[in-house]
Amino acid sequence: PEEPARKKRKSRWASETVRTAIPGLPTVMPANMNEQQQQLYILHLKIEETSRQLRSGDLGIPLNPADRSPSPEPIYSHDGKRLNTREVRTRKRLEDRRHDLIQEAITLNPEYRPPTDYKAPNRKIED
Amino acid sequence: PGLQVAGTAQEATEVLCLMNMVSKEELEDDEEYEGIMEDVREECSRYGEVVSVEIPRPVGGVDIPGVGKIFVEFGSADQCSKAHSALAGRKFANRVVVTWCAMLCLACLV
Repeated sequence: PEEPARKKRKSRWASETVRTAIPGLPTVMPANMNEQQQQLYILHLKIEETSRQLRSGDLGIPLNPADRSPSPEPIYSHDGKRLNTREVRTRKRLEDRRHDLIQEAITLNPEYRPPTDYKAPNRKIED
Repeated sequence: PGLQVAGTAQEATEVLCLMNMVSKEELEDDEEYEGIMEDVREECSRYGEVVSVEIPRPVGGVDIPGVGKIFVEFGSADQCSKAHSALAGRKFANRVVVTWCAMLCLACLV
């Protein structure tokens, strides 16, 4: 269905009907946390969210193509399959992000155990 | 230090702290920053009188305390607590909003 071009700026808030509950991580922060515990808490939450997205395949790609970012030039494999599809690019970005968040959590708390489905990437050295 | 808060033992405050809503990159972009400010103010006004909104920004690429948090001061503790429970778990820019309502929040601003 086509929507008329909206004059009004789109709010960053999602609809009120969308409420997210993450098991074990209440979205009302426990009051007795100090600054470092808070930071770690938010990190855990971000890691959990990203993991959930990767597991469920709900990558947060906007349904409306107009809301998506421009695509890079396509890259094809030898048998003509497109390699850098939006899904592949988004998944890669989420995995990289999760990796960075996990590294950050480990720095803050050496006892931190990453999610079981996390594998540290063999990062190629770029640039 | 230097900040004397009378009767720090009170259970409710007017200041709501919102977390996990913004990235450093977004805060550094003036236009984005204004938009975030406007969105927060607009949404929070639905729960009461918004007295002020504080969104700490990184200065010259250097983090200052509170970067990543958003502080909203309401006209009353009652309004603050209403917004607190209404906004927790909502999505903002595709992120899950975490709320924190406590006098301790004021300490983060110092």
